[in-house]
Amino acid sequence: MKNKKLLAGPYLFWAVSFIIIPLLMIVYYGMTDSKGHFTWSNLAQITTPENLKALGLSILLSLVSTLFCLLLAYPLAMILSELSMNQTSFIVLIFILPMWMNFLLRTMAWQNLLEKNGVINIVLSFFHLPELTIINTPYAIVLGMVYNFLPFMVLPIYNVLVKIDKDVISAAADLGANYWQTFFYITLPLTVPGIISGITMVFVPSLTTFVISDLLGGSKILLIGNVIEQEFKQGSNWNVGSGLSLILMIFIIASMALINKYDKDGEGTAF
Amino acid sequence: MTNKLIDIVKVSKSFGENLVLDELDLYIRENEFLTLLGPSGCGKTTLLRILGGFETPDKGDIIFGGKNINALPPNKRQLNTVFQKYALFSHMTIAENIAFGLKIKGKSKSYIDDKIRYALKLVNLDGFEQRTPDSLSGGQQQRIAIARAIVNEPQVLLLDEPLGALDLKLRQDMQYELIRLKNELGITFIYVTHDQEEALTMSDTIVVMNQGYIQQIGTPEDIYNEPQNAFVADFIGESNIFAATMVKDKVVKMLGAIWECVDVGFGENKPVDAVLRPEDIDLVKPGEGVINGVVTNLIFKGVHYEMEVLANNYELLVHSTDMFPVGTEVGVKVDPFDIQIMKKPESEDEEVSNIEE
Amino acid sequence: MIKESLKKIYLFLIMVLLYAPILTLVVLSFNSSKSRSKWGHFTLDWYRALFQNQDIMNALYTTLIIALVSALIATLLGTAAALGIQGMRRRFRTLMMGITNIPMLNADIVTGISLMLLFIAFRFSLGFSTILLAHITFNIPYVILSVMPKLKQTNRSTYEAALDLGASPVYAFFKVVFPDIIPGVFSGFLLAFTMSLDDFVITHFTKGPGIDTLSTKIYSEVRKGIKPEMYALSTLLFLTVLVLLMLINMAPEKNAATSAKRISVSRGHKIRRFCLRKLTPAAIIIAIVIGGCYYGSKESGHSSNQVIVYNWGEYMDPDVLDMFEEETGIDVVYEEYETNEIMYPKVQSGAIAYDVVCPSDYMVQRMIESNLLAEIDFDNIPNLKNIGTTYMEQSRQFDPDNLYSVPYTWGTVGILYNKTMVDEPIDSWSVLWDEKYKDSILMQDSVRDAFGVTLKYLGYSLNSTDLDELEEAKNLLIEQKPLVQAYVVDQVRDKMIGNEAAIGVIYSGEAIYTQKENPNLEYVIPKEGSNVWIDSWVIPKNAKHKENAEAFINFLCRGDIAKMNFDYITYSTPNTAGRELIEDPDIRNSRIAFPDASELANCETFKFLGDENDALYNRLWREVKSK
Repeated sequence: MKNKKLLAGPYLFWAVSFIIIPLLMIVYYGMTDSKGHFTWSNLAQITTPENLKALGLSILLSLVSTLFCLLLAYPLAMILSELSMNQTSFIVLIFILPMWMNFLLRTMAWQNLLEKNGVINIVLSFFHLPELTIINTPYAIVLGMVYNFLPFMVLPIYNVLVKIDKDVISAAADLGANYWQTFFYITLPLTVPGIISGITMVFVPSLTTFVISDLLGGSKILLIGNVIEQEFKQGSNWNVGSGLSLILMIFIIASMALINKYDKDGEGTAF
Repeated sequence: MTNKLIDIVKVSKSFGENLVLDELDLYIRENEFLTLLGPSGCGKTTLLRILGGFETPDKGDIIFGGKNINALPPNKRQLNTVFQKYALFSHMTIAENIAFGLKIKGKSKSYIDDKIRYALKLVNLDGFEQRTPDSLSGGQQQRIAIARAIVNEPQVLLLDEPLGALDLKLRQDMQYELIRLKNELGITFIYVTHDQEEALTMSDTIVVMNQGYIQQIGTPEDIYNEPQNAFVADFIGESNIFAATMVKDKVVKMLGAIWECVDVGFGENKPVDAVLRPEDIDLVKPGEGVINGVVTNLIFKGVHYEMEVLANNYELLVHSTDMFPVGTEVGVKVDPFDIQIMKKPESEDEEVSNIEE
Repeated sequence: MIKESLKKIYLFLIMVLLYAPILTLVVLSFNSSKSRSKWGHFTLDWYRALFQNQDIMNALYTTLIIALVSALIATLLGTAAALGIQGMRRRFRTLMMGITNIPMLNADIVTGISLMLLFIAFRFSLGFSTILLAHITFNIPYVILSVMPKLKQTNRSTYEAALDLGASPVYAFFKVVFPDIIPGVFSGFLLAFTMSLDDFVITHFTKGPGIDTLSTKIYSEVRKGIKPEMYALSTLLFLTVLVLLMLINMAPEKNAATSAKRISVSRGHKIRRFCLRKLTPAAIIIAIVIGGCYYGSKESGHSSNQVIVYNWGEYMDPDVLDMFEEETGIDVVYEEYETNEIMYPKVQSGAIAYDVVCPSDYMVQRMIESNLLAEIDFDNIPNLKNIGTTYMEQSRQFDPDNLYSVPYTWGTVGILYNKTMVDEPIDSWSVLWDEKYKDSILMQDSVRDAFGVTLKYLGYSLNSTDLDELEEAKNLLIEQKPLVQAYVVDQVRDKMIGNEAAIGVIYSGEAIYTQKENPNLEYVIPKEGSNVWIDSWVIPKNAKHKENAEAFINFLCRGDIAKMNFDYITYSTPNTAGRELIEDPDIRNSRIAFPDASELANCETFKFLGDENDALYNRLWREVKSK
């Protein structure tokens, strides 16, 4: 069918209107001042000590939470991939299921759990264990990120894992590799596309969140997402907000490049 | 070909409620090319996986070189497997694939390099070291899989339908290649296939399996010429199988007539199965054979003609180099030597039951 | 065996991590106390209240409709796009997939902002349609990425075989290709639906007045304290989906009955399977959608005779709105904001034409100076006589000629403390810098309040623009930061009730409510003085329904209405007629709600300090926050 390509027409139109042009709008706002004159000053805003610190902290926290997600998700994905087929569809859905309870409410509920007189501390004190005081600290933010984004690490890794031919694993054992050798030489390298996809799917939202830091950080901790949100919603300086968003997009472009390099065939999709 | 290398003793295995192997006994000699032949689901692959260490038997023992290896994990066994779909490591080059087992064993770099070159030469793929598996054709990948297995110098090579995914011509070439390899390496091959032609071409010994039981063990000639039951006869080559009655020794009643045969010891007036290979049936002038019939169908097959003959309401499949047009009246004749008589199973279960060698 | 049980334990722990918050919310939905951090007793009241809560049901309806429609359109566009992309040459395909990946990889906040900029630049009025467009945009990639793999698996020759057998391309597509990719299409749809349902950030930036999805509704409630009905709703939603999934997964598998012996059994089995896997889920979904539409239809049909109100969160009794609609026949479109600073740019940008807004004193002044406000025609507001003259006088500080504003509430900023957690009587701001109360102090998360408190403590004016004074205040705030448990706005209330903190900076209006819930709490206006503030109704210049807006303000000035609002929000009312109607003399004469003039001696009202000074305050505040 020659005109099959035309089927992508409406989408192409849509993508240009609602993906490409809006991004160009950000570029425009980011590169002009309030009177519409060209300027670099919005981009330069990132170099103020406060913004740099917010960006640095965002990068640090999202790196840490990405690492935690990876460490938690990999064994989990391996366990899930070993289950029989019928069970897995159920268990994978178990990871999607929490999304039906609103993201804000779920994150808020962590306040209840972590507070000084929260559920966790009540349980801890019942067993005469020391109190856990991580609410309103970066630790709570990392917890919130790990909690919210863990499924986005588990699912791509899981999807790549189940596609690995069982015979390939058997072949490695057959050739003399023990469990850990098989893992490091075969399983791990073969799941790189999933890992990379998972890393970007956790890192980017963690880097740019403002809700989690708001809810679990007690507004004491300013992340780059908060700075941008405030520029738009409170400081009402859209130019600076756009400029900072442009800086963020550097990270997003970097992650797209990563994906292109390691996951050419789109194996590591989350869904 | 005298020493027992592997002894399989009363091995059973089931998956859930599905009994795949039932108290199976088999031994494999050194330097033997042994083929496990049977339809899919007969348990042949399971048996191979048990030998490879990827499955553990529920009951019974695997004795390898005098030692019980039931509990030995795959990576400690002195045998290597060539997998059905090759199972090459797609993230490694050909050289890295072949070197994998040797690196694990901690061999020196020069030793590994020598081995890679030797193995690639052996499978006729010199110079492929730096290629990646997905740039290779199916046949080439298959050879790499073999090369990867044999550099480890296993005592036994297990091959799980290794030619199944190749096209006909390539399959035939690879059959000769495998025979050559086996002779050069001087090791035991255990080969799993559902293709009787492969089995007949390459094997020293064929083990015909069905539903977890061994149906017959023998040389290719034995299996083809003297199938011990209807299953084997039907599975190996084309055949006409008829219900018959053994009137007495060397006399059988089938197709509504009395025939002379060479089989003895079935008793008198006992129901049996009789097998007639299509190429063993001679078509002669009407009246000159034991029974008369009419040719109802004719196909040219290249080497011979394939005809269907209706005689006494029985349909016979006949292969002959002589051509009889459709409608020709013919006489049917079979040499007594070519009539194969088999004990009739009394129930469905017995049909698949273990048969003593 | 050990390995197996270790795996089980690990799975279990992950499940605990994933579901602990959800369990918490379920428990809260049965909590009779309105406060999040206090357990009353078991109750089903919130479930009952839920179905009478028009706001929440409307948000639910909007959420479901947007999720459904955006998922449907995205599925249509996305499936077509996937087919088209499949037929493209390699280079175009890579390009298209690259574009498709943008919304997936791009930060939500950037996507949201970019769409907002687009909509505003092209004069789309922000509302239902812009949310829908935004949701379709971020949903399409999920569909494409779900359909593409299935499309790769389909055998091209089956399609050609169908053409060969005389099928038209369209027929061949629907009979041969489509059945193969339908699992991909379906999972794409489901994914899109879920993502749309769970989205907050993009909706936050692209929504307009009078429309809320559950997410934005919750976000505006977060600062004030979530309405327990929301927990009830979430619990119901969650359980519905859980049951659906159970049904789909527990239904017997297709291949279970293959043996010929079981043919007779398999018929009944098939019917049961069909019921469980198809019929029941479909029925439940249809029921939800119809239910949603039913609630939606009650609200729909906005006439042009309306008034668009932009008010603080939780700042009016919802019954008042109903009464107003009933009495005047004017439809109220109601939207809420959390801070003056959030409200200002929205009004300024003119993207949304609000009819009546409720800014605070200094913000009224700023809006007057920015020429954003229309003069109010006081002939249309006869009930103005109910407003105490002292308050009209006070208003002159920011509205010198009393032309633009009508006072709605007023109050002070002070310290709320827990008597059981502090040692000495508190009468000074200095307690906020007392090392003893490290991690037990709640500060206001807004520039002017935080600086105002500090400047007062230092003995300066809270309208100071002196750089040295401000620097001094900033340093003091930085010094204080390690002692602060959290910077919050309205959450002070819940946290103080729940004994989470000993001391909090709070608006006087909240104090009355918190005392009711937790008698150990005490409110004080520190001796150094504080902020006395007035929130007033104003009408923006670009209002489309000015007369309705005046009718609305007039209605609010009625004594009985003012009293209703006072009962609901417990913020002091300037309405003397309303105050007279308060039954409880303790409250009518409460020093918290209606302090003596002597107590207010050192208090000041915020003034607008000009854009430059605003920027200065913001910069200093960010320096505090990022330390």
